[in-house]
Order: sequence, then structure tokens, then C-alpha cells
Amino acid sequence: MAATKGESSALAQLAQAALALPILALPVKAGAAEVGEIGFTLLGYKERGLMTIVEPVLWGRAQFMESWEVQASAAVDIISGASPQLVSNASGKPVQTITGASIEDHRGTGDVKLTKRFGEFSLAGSLAYSKEEDYESRAFGVEGRLDLNQRNTTLIAGYGQSKDRVGSSDDPTLDEPRDTKEYMLGVTQVISPTALVSSTVVWTRGEGYYNDPYKLTFTFFPSGPPLLVPDVRPDHRHTTAWLTRFRNHVPSLNGTLQADYRYYSDDWGIRAHTLEVGWQQSIDDRWSIRPALRYYTQDAADFYSPTVTRPPAAVHSSDQRLSAFGGLSPSLRVILRSNDRLTFEGTLGYVHNAANLHLGGSGNDAFATLRAYYGLLGVTYSF
Amino acid sequence: MPDTTSTLYRFTFFAMAAENEVQVHSQDPALAERAANAAIAEVKRIEAKYSRYLDDSVVSRINAQAGGAPVKVDDETLALLAFADACHRQSEGLFDATSGVLRRAWNFKEPRVPAQAELDAILPLVGWEKVEISNAHVRHARPGMQLDFGGFGKEYAVDRAALVMSDQGVESALVNLAGDLAILGSQPGAAPWRVGIKHPRRDDKLLATLPVDSGAIATSGDYERFIEVDGVRHCHILDPRTGRSARGLQAVTVQATACTMAGSITTIAMLKGREGLAWLDEMGAKYLAVADDGTVIDRF
Repeated sequence: MAATKGESSALAQLAQAALALPILALPVKAGAAEVGEIGFTLLGYKERGLMTIVEPVLWGRAQFMESWEVQASAAVDIISGASPQLVSNASGKPVQTITGASIEDHRGTGDVKLTKRFGEFSLAGSLAYSKEEDYESRAFGVEGRLDLNQRNTTLIAGYGQSKDRVGSSDDPTLDEPRDTKEYMLGVTQVISPTALVSSTVVWTRGEGYYNDPYKLTFTFFPSGPPLLVPDVRPDHRHTTAWLTRFRNHVPSLNGTLQADYRYYSDDWGIRAHTLEVGWQQSIDDRWSIRPALRYYTQDAADFYSPTVTRPPAAVHSSDQRLSAFGGLSPSLRVILRSNDRLTFEGTLGYVHNAANLHLGGSGNDAFATLRAYYGLLGVTYSF
Repeated sequence: MPDTTSTLYRFTFFAMAAENEVQVHSQDPALAERAANAAIAEVKRIEAKYSRYLDDSVVSRINAQAGGAPVKVDDETLALLAFADACHRQSEGLFDATSGVLRRAWNFKEPRVPAQAELDAILPLVGWEKVEISNAHVRHARPGMQLDFGGFGKEYAVDRAALVMSDQGVESALVNLAGDLAILGSQPGAAPWRVGIKHPRRDDKLLATLPVDSGAIATSGDYERFIEVDGVRHCHILDPRTGRSARGLQAVTVQATACTMAGSITTIAMLKGREGLAWLDEMGAKYLAVADDGTVIDRF
């Protein structure tokens, strides 16, 4: 019984089997500690009929002076196309319409994080900045990590603060603040040599301007004049997001199961669930593929409605991103480790959000089905 | 990377019937000692758990129940059995963790080649396919069968000792169990560790000194336990199909990312004999081998 794929697969098979043992060795990178990596990613996202986003990202990570690590990234979002601005029931039923010229906007973001390790404990500080024509955000964060049980258990706690300024390219006088505080607690637990689970909760408390300055609702009534009402949202938002991830490597199949579940709720009335299941399959010691499927469902915000009442409520939005809907998103990622230092990856995905995919079926009728494609190409170099 | 003010600490200890050594670079002697003690404790734990010479080891309990009730085993044992299974498949059946029972016919303390009839009596007890593993339980299909982790147990202990030291915060160390070794990190100043490889025929000579900056090294040779009868050497590496000694190579040393892997590769190469060299070449392995006629093949 000769090996048909070439004898290098014998090394890969043994390496995969060794991977299941609770030892240090990784089949791809040799025992020498890596000093860092840099990478470049190009992301493209296109909604059918609506927006296109292209985002190049440059990122890097390096260890220095034995116990320090620095991470940084910079990205530019190039957003073009049309964004729905008006929900009008002039036709009898509320529909999204696109008014105004299509936009072209650039958003630049940058962030840096510095970590110092003190044995089993490490402390990190981070700064982030984001700027586009009508929005600016500055944020900082601190995070502590503690390794226990010979690194089988890791605890994380973090705090962050973000100060944003919201403007509008339609209204130069708009300049409103929005401040958010974020708290995070998490735990990662190695269950076996081939499985681990991690769970993180993030609470945010935000105060300030949440209205979308570009969105309007235009409602006709059986009698009397129609009302054109701007988007008015509460001046605070408190959210809770709980993400649990499970990873299980199956040595006999050369693959890893990846399952993520996220629960989200906020004081605007939105409750959302996301479930993503993926399977990373090694084909040989260089190639792997990862098909995945994500399901998303969201309940509407309390103040969401595609039409307004007369007189209109103090707080109201017809932005369908706040409505009840569900979505399915399949994706396929291909990873190539071309040598010890270079890794390439490509991902293709499709997003389908619709009212009838809402869990329980009762999505908002006014939700206009969103179909979008995205693709990602990335290269990482380790040194 | 540790800076150049750290000191090299050496700790020697006796385990698995041999003199062994842990070397640690550290600025803190207490850390070096703690880490070395943890590594030594881990080696002894694995010896106690998997040695077929100790009656209450997992391996001995499984062997005691051969042909009888299945024995429940833990995740670490299951992972090692899965590794043994992978080695069995990648070596086309040559690597067989049940071949240890052949040592009933071969007594390497007296120079006598067993008769074919003696081997024929034992060969039915050899065969990895006769080990039943299901639902976290292990059972030998026939009484008298023996599981033996000798082909990779010491190398696994090397890797575990290195991991335990890494957990203690050590970044530059070397674990050497009688010639099977693993390296954690580089030496201060990024100099490679220098590993001396024993000459398979000359006790007083080194075959080579290899610079190794990462990973692990394992060596298999026909000089570890052998007898010589009528000018022919018979060594402890036995072919599970015939019950007779492996032939064709005097010794093989392999560098791999883990000692467990290096150890199984050297064992399989020794069992394949001369063909083992072609197998190692196609695999792209880094190795140093001495053929039965004394020729040295250096692919390091």
C-alpha cells in the first residue's frame, strides 16, 4: 500500500497525529519562537443595488524585549454607492427608497495595542482612531489576562472608552458627541488536547447622539397631510453581547470544528442571535479549506416602525437595520501555507438578509431583502 | 530571547533506565531549579504511567487484561494510541506497538538467535489490528498480547518535559533523555545548541556534532541493545512481520518539530533498512544515517 499523495503527506500525517498530543510542537512552524508577523488583507463587499465597500488593511504584530508585544493596524474603507435614505408608504406599503446622489466616502482607521507579560499575567493598553467626513472616533482600552492551570485556563477583563463626534455631510452645523464605556469579561478553557471553549461578555453604556442624520420617514395617512419625520433615537444605548466559541480538532479526519454563538440584547429592545458553524479541513500540509454557515436573527427595536403615527412618537426610526429580520450567510475560505513563513488566504461569502428568515417567522414586512457578496484576500508573513 | 546575563544550569537525573539531563538558561536559579524539577517530575510521571516494567502502569494493566475485559483509558493515552496508529499506517505496518512481545524470544543478554519455531509461537500475538480501541476503552484481542510504547514513549516524555518547562516561564532550555532531546527556544545570543551524535560502533567517538537551533532530535540505532552471533548483529528493533532484527542501517538521527515525531520516524527508518533512506528523502526529513557498511549519509 504505497502512499499515493507523495511521501510528504507521511510527514503531514504524523505531524497531524502529533498535534493531538499535549505537546508544544506545531506542524507548520518550527520550535524557534516567532518574533512577529505582518499581513495585508483586501476586503470587498457589495450589496446588490446598494453599497460597495473596498477595504485594504495593513496589520502587524511583533514581540520585543522578552516580555513586550506590540500590535498595530491601519485600514481605509472606500465606500461608494447608494444608501437607503427614505422609507415611504406612498405606494400603499412602506418601501425603502434611495434618494440623492450615490456617495463616495473614505474612512481611515488606525489602532495600536501594547502588551506586557508578567509571568502568568499580562496587561495591555490600546488606542484607536477613526475618521471619515461626517464622523470621528477616538477610543482607548485596557485589558488584563491571567493564565491558570498551566495555561489551560485564561481569564480576561477589560475596560474601554470611546469618544465619538457625529456630523452630517448634508448639514454642516451638526456636530454632536457620543461617548461609550465598554466592560469585558471572558474565559478560555482548554477542555482536552484537541478542544477548547471560550466565552466573553461585553457590556457597553453609551450616551449621546444616535440619530442617523441621513434617514427620513415619509408617511401618508388616509386623510390629512403626510408627515416627513427625521430619524430620532434615544440618547443612550446600553448593550450586552455574549459570545461563546467552541473549537474541536478531530485528528482522524484532519479537521477542526468551529462553532460560535453570540447573544445580543440592548435597551432599545433589540435581541439578536448569531450562530456560525464552520469546519476547517486540512487537505495536506499546505492547503486547508473552511466552509462555514452563519445564521442571524434579530428582533426589532422598540421604536422601529416603517411608518410614523400622527402625532409622531418622540423617538422613531424606520432604518431597517433596527427591524426584525433574519439572515443566512454561507462562506468558503481557502488557506495556503506556502512555506514556514508565508500564508495566503482567500474567502468568498454571500449574505442574505430577509424578513422571512427571522426566527419565529415574524419579520417586518417592510424589510427589503438584502443580498450581498464579499470576498477577502490576505497574505501573512511571519518573522 | 533571554539576554546574555543568564547562566546555564544543568540538572542530571536517572529515569527510564538511563542517565538524563535538563539544561536551562535562566537569570534566576530558583526558576531554573523549579522548572527542571517540574520537567523531571513529568518524565517520571510518564515512566510510571506507560512503562511495561511497572505493574501498575496503564500499559501493564492493559496487558494484564489481554483477551479479557476492556480497560478504560484517559485522553492522554488515547492520543498516544492514535499516534501509534498513525505511525502504523505511515510505515505500512512496520511500526507496531504490539511487537514488544517478541522480546520473549530474544534475550539480548545471551548471544543466541531464537529458532523459527519459537518466533512462530509468538508472532500470532503481534499485530496492531488486534488491539481494539473503542469508546475510550482498550483491549487486546488475544491473551498474551503486549502493548509497548517503547518506540515513542521516551520521546513523548521529552516533549512533555519541554512543555512543562515552557509553562514555568522558561524560554531557553534543552531536555535530553539518553540522546533523545528537545529544544525550547534558542540559546542567549541566538547561538544554536550543539548536539553530539554517538558513533554507532565506536563508544569513544562522536559521529558528528550538529548545530540545532530549534525542534527536537531522536536517534535509533542497532547499538543500543544487541547481540552478535557468527559476525551478524541482531538488535532490539524487531520486524513485527518476521520477528527478526531490522537490517540495513546502523543508526539514524532525525530532526523534527517534536521529539515524538522524530522518534517514530527514526524507528520506522531503521525497520525499513536501506529503503528507509529513500523514505526519509521523499519525506524531506533532516537526517543523519549510517548504513550497515559504515557509509554516512548526511542530510542535515
